[in-house]
Amino acid sequence: MSIFHSMNTTASALTTQRLRMDVISSNIANVDTTRAKQVNGEWEPYRKKSVTLKEQEGQFSNFLNMAIGKTKKNGVGNGVKVSSIKEDTETPFKLMYDPSHPDANAEGYVQMSNVDVLKEMVDLISASRSYEANITAFNANKNMLTKALEIGKG
Amino acid sequence: MDLFGGTISSLEKGLSYATLKNKAITQNIANVDTPNYKTKEVSFKDVLNDAKQATIPAYRTDARHFDFKINIGSSGVYSNENFRSRANGNAVNMDAEQAKLAENTIYYNALIDRVSSKFSTLNNVVKGGR
Repeated sequence: MSIFHSMNTTASALTTQRLRMDVISSNIANVDTTRAKQVNGEWEPYRKKSVTLKEQEGQFSNFLNMAIGKTKKNGVGNGVKVSSIKEDTETPFKLMYDPSHPDANAEGYVQMSNVDVLKEMVDLISASRSYEANITAFNANKNMLTKALEIGKG
Repeated sequence: MDLFGGTISSLEKGLSYATLKNKAITQNIANVDTPNYKTKEVSFKDVLNDAKQATIPAYRTDARHFDFKINIGSSGVYSNENFRSRANGNAVNMDAEQAKLAENTIYYNALIDRVSSKFSTLNNVVKGGR
């Protein structure tokens, strides 16, 4: 049990939220990308990527304590981790009429990426608020530790 | 007579409870966007019971043998399984967590304050009031 346990927890959350923001930035940046990946010799537009999060279950001691019956549930855990970054294959690509576009099909429609900028903005704000909340938790924890160092000084 | 009395060890138990609670709150805030995450809480009663009997009974071949002393781990932590506040099954209420965080910090600081003051009292005694 380390005194920096809480700080590591917060750090994992900060990393995760930053990664979410990176992925969202990438989505917004590629909103007009029509050639992201080649599938069977055809160019496919950019697919929206999303991050899935998972609770980090904690270290060996948690499971040991659970096994010897000291803890009923598994312990506090170790923060949060990214379980995967998935591409959105469900939402169809948007079709835009532009016959002059090099990627237009025979009817003159161009397939655009399936990124919805509005949704991305909402997610971006959510991620940045979560980041701020974790900063608050980090500062509170830091103050507690600093205060603990003052024991016996007064 | 014991110079330090029971005060410091009581305060120590309080501090370890506050530390554990801080861990749980941090974990809750960290997982605010994790689907199906359930809020973790610390039960004071469990932690106190644990602190009172923090030994594992050992197999004794002699009555004078000691029991094993164990550290206070993360016992007394339980998840709120039946509560959900959002569509993705996540149950973290950020306002409540922030309030608990602030409360816990103040509680911790108060205990630290008491420990310090206890030591300075003892220091005063040792110096004979000079």
